[in-house]
Amino acid sequence: MTKKSVIIKYQKIIIINIIFYILWRYVTCAAKGRRKPLTLVEIGDREMSTTDWLKPLQHILNCPVQVVTKSMLEWSDLLRDAEAVWLGEKKDQPPTEGQRAEKNGMTWIVTASNDYSVELLEINNPSLSVTEKELISWTLKRGRSDLTQLKAAALSETERNALKLSEWIQKQLEADEPAYSLPDHLTVGSRLFNEMIPFLLVTEQSNTKQAVYTELEKLLHSFLSEDVLLIPLKSQEWLIWGPLSLLRDEDSDTFDDQEEETIEDSLASIGSGLHEMLASEWIGECHLAVTHPTTPAKGIVETTILLRETINLGRKFHVGTNIHLPWMLQLERLLNAIPEAQRSKYLEQSLKRADLFVESEMLSTLETFFTLDCNVSETAKKLYIHRNTLLYRLDKLKQETGLDVRQFRDAVLVKIILLLYKVTKRN
Amino acid sequence: MAGVRLEGIYKKYPGSDKASVTDVNLDIKDKEFLVLVGPSGCGKSTTLRMIAGLEEISEGKLFIGDRLVNDVAPKDRDIAMVFQSYALYPHMNVYQNMAFGLKLRKFKKADIDKRVREAAKILDIEHLLDRKPKALSGGQRQRVALGRAIVREPQVFLMDEPLSNLDAKLRGQMRAEISKLTKRLETTTIYVTHDQIEAMTMGDRIVVMKDGFIQQTASPEELYNHPVNIFVAGFIGAPSMNFISGTLTEQGGALRFKASGVDVVVPEGKAATLRSKGYIGKEVILGIRPEDLHEEPVFLEASPQTIVNANVEVAENLGHEMYLYLNGIGTDTVIARVDGRAGVRDGVSVKLALDMNKVHLFDKATELNIFEN
Repeated sequence: MTKKSVIIKYQKIIIINIIFYILWRYVTCAAKGRRKPLTLVEIGDREMSTTDWLKPLQHILNCPVQVVTKSMLEWSDLLRDAEAVWLGEKKDQPPTEGQRAEKNGMTWIVTASNDYSVELLEINNPSLSVTEKELISWTLKRGRSDLTQLKAAALSETERNALKLSEWIQKQLEADEPAYSLPDHLTVGSRLFNEMIPFLLVTEQSNTKQAVYTELEKLLHSFLSEDVLLIPLKSQEWLIWGPLSLLRDEDSDTFDDQEEETIEDSLASIGSGLHEMLASEWIGECHLAVTHPTTPAKGIVETTILLRETINLGRKFHVGTNIHLPWMLQLERLLNAIPEAQRSKYLEQSLKRADLFVESEMLSTLETFFTLDCNVSETAKKLYIHRNTLLYRLDKLKQETGLDVRQFRDAVLVKIILLLYKVTKRN
Repeated sequence: MAGVRLEGIYKKYPGSDKASVTDVNLDIKDKEFLVLVGPSGCGKSTTLRMIAGLEEISEGKLFIGDRLVNDVAPKDRDIAMVFQSYALYPHMNVYQNMAFGLKLRKFKKADIDKRVREAAKILDIEHLLDRKPKALSGGQRQRVALGRAIVREPQVFLMDEPLSNLDAKLRGQMRAEISKLTKRLETTTIYVTHDQIEAMTMGDRIVVMKDGFIQQTASPEELYNHPVNIFVAGFIGAPSMNFISGTLTEQGGALRFKASGVDVVVPEGKAATLRSKGYIGKEVILGIRPEDLHEEPVFLEASPQTIVNANVEVAENLGHEMYLYLNGIGTDTVIARVDGRAGVRDGVSVKLALDMNKVHLFDKATELNIFEN
């Protein structure tokens, strides 16, 4: 083999690789950038436009290359009259990517098709080698299978329905007089007429870690059941409807038979479990609100409003808490309705010793004391302190502020002060 | 298994001028049990949550093994977490709870079964595998939460106050079990607690944090015996170290520490350092642990130059030992830990000798330990 022929051989290999790369970019970028089957007319909005790849391809093949559209009839005629035809394994089926026909030094290779037309790469180069032609066909054919997968993953029927629902909910939320019942065309059979458990999920990640519908839906199916409805609302906000069966537990044994689990306890427990799973197995930091079961068809708007308010109140009044329950935020809802100026004024008048409420020890003592229904023994136990130490702290508070949290009236006042203080301090 | 490296880690929350975590540098070795300890708000949980990927890192680099994981999602960091507010999946039984993470990661059924049963055996919960969480006691639930982490066979365990929801007895039991377990599994563990007893008993190394800064990183013995500043000295040890503010004076060829009710000789070794660092005539803070105040006659006879007189406000007898709450030594109450058979009663006067070889002296302005800096 002469030196010249070796150089030519390597040049060819390099050229083939470049052709492969350009076509590969074309098919994959087109696939990623689009969700509908390719057509020539719509080629302009592709991530990689025709001009991006056509010119370099022309340059490499050193011949005119263009994209043309032919009707199905024209394509059939071309196949019939062609000097050489390659149809791959799908000979009797509609045109598929990579199939090609050759006539008078021209080569046509299918890049896309629909029911009526075929999109073809038209290469005017009689000296195009068989290897080059096969490589182009193979690249386009392979691109098709990737495209099929991407298209399938991109937008499932469920996601399309969920998006329609989302759009309708958002419209109602912005409307002056929202409709509370879903219109018939959105109820998707009878599914939305069943009672379900509503959750609202708000994720807290940067834009680089955007949540993906299909990923979350799959995860929820594994965790809750197949019967889950997922509706994307705002960016990183998801409305989830779980099956009522989560509340019906055949295994009714409880560790402590004395304590009957209420529906609120069950909902809180499901919410905690779901949050734990989402935080550790999916997206990390997130907030979750859950409320009583309802029928999506009738209560989807009201429920969304309630859950959004719950998450907002929870995040405002209970920083550090990620699971928010509407029945635990009634006082917060009331306080939130008081204008800011009045809240600050009240706080100013009530707090004789503001610094006392800043002390983390006093704060945690009071919070535990209120959580345990003002029970001194239980609070001391929970805080790992002696009962007398707790009484000393409560006496100190009484001495400094005049408020004795062992008295119901003062306990209510201190609870309100604490809630307001947390909000104003942050502002 | 892998080590974890934190390089210049900061956490700043939007709208806040001050960083919650400042310039944290840590090199946690493979298989090491590292404890982050400090009062609430010191940044220990935030640091752990950044390692877990639950909080974004504002500045700095985090490596798990050799992999930079700043932008890696929690699920892809090959870590397992057990937090204070751990929640079991209520609609799944114990087996399903432990298997769920593996199922998501597409492990084969046989592998899942093997891992779950092995973890259940280690945690002694094999008999509970069919039960739902609500049919379990607090301790059993805690074990399931640990089991869920163990089956993952992660590179790193992250635990944030995992025992704080348990009662004191169970807490002690589980403390020992977690220590045993992590040694057996040989997995790198980062454990957050505010409880210095947990820190001292569990950690190979302890990181003491305050206001978002690392104060000291050392072994439990090193922290206890060589605290670098007043904060570490006071935080580690229960009852905590006593601090007496006083002055160093040269008198009759010896260096003496003088404070209200205290006039004791500083041993020559320590005195030389104090002289060379120019502390003569200056105010310093003397730190002494409760067990380094002695009432035994033998000690009093051997150390006549370190004796102080005090009044016993309260004598708490715990049986094997006794805590004496004393006044008359400096201006604040001083606690001495003496033998339970000492027979000291409330209100009496006692003579105590300070073990001056064990005392620490801190710079009044910087609060740094003069001998350790």
